Amino acid sequence: MKNVIECEKISRKFPVPGGEFYALKGIDAAVPEGCFAILKGRSGSGKTTLMNIIGTLDDPSEGRVLIDGTEIRGMSAKKREDLRRKRMGFVFQSVSLIPSLNAWQNVEFSMRMAGIKYSKERDARIEECLRRVGLWNRRNHMPAEMSGGEQQRVAIARAIAHRPGILLADEPTAELDSAMAATVTGVFQEMSRTEGITILMTTHDVGLMDAADMIIELENGERKS
Amino acid sequence: MFGITVLKLWHKKWMNLCLILGCTLLIATTVSFPMYQAAAYDRMLRDEFDHFYAKEGSWPTGAEMTTVSKKDKTGAAISKLETFQNGFAQTLGVTEKEKIRLYTHSRMDLHSEMNRPDAGTLSLRLGAMSDLPEHVKLLAGEIYAGDPSADGVIDIVVTQGCLTAQGLLVGETLRFDAMKDAQGNPIRLRVTGVIAPQSMTDIYWQTDPEELSDVLLMDMDLFSAMFTGENAGKYTLTCKYDMLFEYADLRAPQVAYLQAQTDYLTTTSSYRSVLKLFDYPEILKEYAQKRERIFATLMILQIPVLVMLAAFLFMISGQMYEMERNEISVIKSRGSSRAQIFRLYLYQCGILTIVGALLGIPLGRVFARVLGATSSFLQFDSSRLSEVSFTRECAFYAAGAMLVTLGSMTLPAIRHSRVSIVHLKAQKAIRKKTWWEKVYLDIILIGVSIYGYYSFHRDAQKLSEHVLSGKGLDPLLYVSSSVFILGCGLLFLRLQPLFVRLLLAISGKFLRPAIYVSLRESVRNSRKQQLIMLFLILTVSLGMYHANVASTIMANAEENARYLDGADVILREVWTEKVDEEGRSTGQFVEPDYAKYASMPGVDGYTRVSYDDKAAAVTSGGNSRQAVTLMGIHTREFGSETAVSRAFLPRPYRQYLNDLAVVSDGFLASMDFHTKLGFEVGDSVTVLNRYGGSTTGKIVAFFDYFPGYAPSVVEIGPDGSAFRSDRFLLVGHYASFVRKWGTLPYEVWVDRTEGADDAAFYDWIEEKNLRLTKFTDRDRDVEDAMTDPLLQGTGGVLSMGFVVTILLCAVGYLIYWVMSIRERELTFGVLRACGLHKRELFTMLLIEQLFSGGLSIAAGIGIGKGASKLFVPILQQAYAAANQAIPMQVVTNAAALDRLYVVLALVMTVSLLVLVLLLFRMNVSKALKLGEE
Repeated sequence: MKNVIECEKISRKFPVPGGEFYALKGIDAAVPEGCFAILKGRSGSGKTTLMNIIGTLDDPSEGRVLIDGTEIRGMSAKKREDLRRKRMGFVFQSVSLIPSLNAWQNVEFSMRMAGIKYSKERDARIEECLRRVGLWNRRNHMPAEMSGGEQQRVAIARAIAHRPGILLADEPTAELDSAMAATVTGVFQEMSRTEGITILMTTHDVGLMDAADMIIELENGERKS
Repeated sequence: MFGITVLKLWHKKWMNLCLILGCTLLIATTVSFPMYQAAAYDRMLRDEFDHFYAKEGSWPTGAEMTTVSKKDKTGAAISKLETFQNGFAQTLGVTEKEKIRLYTHSRMDLHSEMNRPDAGTLSLRLGAMSDLPEHVKLLAGEIYAGDPSADGVIDIVVTQGCLTAQGLLVGETLRFDAMKDAQGNPIRLRVTGVIAPQSMTDIYWQTDPEELSDVLLMDMDLFSAMFTGENAGKYTLTCKYDMLFEYADLRAPQVAYLQAQTDYLTTTSSYRSVLKLFDYPEILKEYAQKRERIFATLMILQIPVLVMLAAFLFMISGQMYEMERNEISVIKSRGSSRAQIFRLYLYQCGILTIVGALLGIPLGRVFARVLGATSSFLQFDSSRLSEVSFTRECAFYAAGAMLVTLGSMTLPAIRHSRVSIVHLKAQKAIRKKTWWEKVYLDIILIGVSIYGYYSFHRDAQKLSEHVLSGKGLDPLLYVSSSVFILGCGLLFLRLQPLFVRLLLAISGKFLRPAIYVSLRESVRNSRKQQLIMLFLILTVSLGMYHANVASTIMANAEENARYLDGADVILREVWTEKVDEEGRSTGQFVEPDYAKYASMPGVDGYTRVSYDDKAAAVTSGGNSRQAVTLMGIHTREFGSETAVSRAFLPRPYRQYLNDLAVVSDGFLASMDFHTKLGFEVGDSVTVLNRYGGSTTGKIVAFFDYFPGYAPSVVEIGPDGSAFRSDRFLLVGHYASFVRKWGTLPYEVWVDRTEGADDAAFYDWIEEKNLRLTKFTDRDRDVEDAMTDPLLQGTGGVLSMGFVVTILLCAVGYLIYWVMSIRERELTFGVLRACGLHKRELFTMLLIEQLFSGGLSIAAGIGIGKGASKLFVPILQQAYAAANQAIPMQVVTNAAALDRLYVVLALVMTVSLLVLVLLLFRMNVSKALKLGEE
């Protein structure tokens, strides 16, 4: 299977008073297509920094990242944005839904972003995604009218609606109780199997590791395993 | 607590700077009104007296006492009156200008000691006038000495009239046989000089010198020693006391005391029977009415501005609390009492208010000066900047403004201090209709204002009479327009989300992501945006409305003053009447040299106009007479020197003159000859001039307006009520009048060259030594009309209000934008992370801005135009002057509106720039991080 995400010797340093701070030090990693990978590590280990670099939101100080075999560095801002719009889906730790859109509209929005025009199929896909996260009956609810777990599930539905190749989920379960966290992880697992999406999820919850096909562990900015 | 407060203030310095700006402007605006009013009242008071003095020629502020001290009475009465006179100004609390004492005995016979063939027995009065030598010039001889001469003869002076009438000679000695000095010898007098007033305008001459034609004037001190005090009982003495006080020093706040003291003197005091006041009580009464009118009008005009200022503070502090909601709810959840939270904000807002007051009061002074320098809407004439002072009233206003400021900033704290973090989250989820939407306040307000419109529209004419009688502007009238604007603004807020929803329903499925989200945001945030949108709508629509009100009333006042003057300059010289050999008037006059007018500088033309406002037309078959004004003109010259706007007449003005030109005995008659007296074109009319001459002519046309002609004037009756009376005017040929009656006094109507030098013209008048009985200068009269405190105050308040609100609006709108973007940083971060381009994000916010700000401005413009169309014609009635002659027209001040649009464009551009700046500074991963916190 080909690797969808490849990281080669990635380092990321930030200027701090009196020198530089390395958030990531020479990380090598590769995630094959359709794999559900978990990026594990304690708080401050560099998970989100790596995630941001893979998600083209940030650039590494050293090393290179390849998405579908193409190096990100040197890509124009527009190309990166197009990549994020069409090829990637994002789920963030905090509630990241657009407050002015209801559940259905939030999911539909990612499809608009990906340039999928209005059609019956588009509506059917939205329904499918919402049913998959078990929130079809709450499709007309606004984010403020839903619990944190429900919002996160809508965020997942939104992230997969446009059939991205890669789903990046940064601590999606951090604010959820363990049962809800298990449900969300279950959804991810199912996605990678049924839709062939490559999923990279960060978490520090050891209870969720069993669901993963692959675990990348970070400690103090370095890959531990 | 204080430390925390200061720290909090510093932490949100930009927000607090905006709040300070709001406080400063609110306090400055509030304080500027009483400051301006005080200065305006002072000036108005002085103007009232000045006008009276210029028109009537008699000093208005003072009183006169005349009493007769009978023979055998003690001198106590006289000394009491003298004491009263000395303390008169002090009693009234004013500055003394002049006090004049005139003592005269009754006429008594006297003989000349000179052996003259024509010397008969004379009957004259002996008298004295205080400070006489300082106010007279000697025509012959010298002024009297203070003491009798060695031979016991007393020096006296006489007026020219007395000298001639009595046939006295300078140096002549006269003897009163019936009047004895202390030694019992007859009093002997010597005529030492002949006097005349130094100046006829000297206010010392309260007693006409003509009245002194039988008085021999001696030194006052000597007179007092001889005939007052213990010697008072010997002869009957008439004592006249004039007490004049300075009006230029009179300040508005002194008026009430002056009026009260005057009332006391004339109704209660023991001097009431002998005291005769000059004209000042009437002038003060008129002034009080005007003042009341100005006060009411300016107050009403200020209210919307002040309400908007308070709303601004409320809005901004609301934003502040909105930003601090999390903080407040966390403090609350950690056990702080509501009182503690309230105190924290009270201190914080207290500091802001005090800083606001420290800056606002001096700024208010500047505002007040600018108010006084307003020449038109948003136009200020720096040469008119007047001095203003901080009065006790200003302190009250400042305190009031500070309280409102503090209240509007701290009151939201009470509401927010109730909310714990749990309630806060719950609250965020709830979306409710606002109270005004539920009660249909918008519809109610529009209904009320339309009702107001119809009822005022019906009684438009009564309205101006009501105002002219001093009752001030009916608050309801002004409120109607404000209510209309508010109602329409709220209706727009109700309709705007529906409109966006409709747009979404129609095209939502196909919209690009950025536009789609912005429209959704617009619907979603419609309630949150209501206040800023309403603020924008009100600022724009009130700005437009006020611009139209101000320009309409100012343009009308100017146009009216121009029209009423008739010509650029009108001069009328003193004409002396010819007398026959026996001194009887002949009705013939000596015509001043007319040829000299050819040398007037800066003049395009001039013409003779005979003007008789005491003529009469014979009506009803000769049975009754109608008082008319009769003008005699030279049609061709008059036509080229004067003009009447085409808007006022059904056909061009010069056609009327042409009609007259072809009929040598023709008359142009004012329309009331037709409507009130039943005359028709072609009818004969007989007219009598003031000297009794009559002529008959044919009416050739009726006109509604003619240069200088007011069809009706509003007069104020003795009970203070206003009524309208018609004025009849007949215009005939000057030449035919001359043929009939000979040369009669005429006026010279002058058409001056545009931009001609005033000084040269006035120098010419001076140089030619013209003695004028009438002089009007159109430019001066227009200037006078434009500086009317009511008009100027209105222009000033509206301009100032507009500047302040637009400033607040700009600041408020920017704050709203910045806050709104900050608040949504997480959403923007998510959108950017999901691949939304910066350009798209900008488009999204731009559209959002267009749908909130842009639509609000468009609505504001529409509402402003609507309100102007409906209410300006009614409101201007309230500003109609008593001499309003021409029909009033709504004037749209394009320049002011352009200024308004420029300011709005600037506000929108600046907020867009801020938007771009914020977006480019935004870091996606940082924004996402922010969201996590």
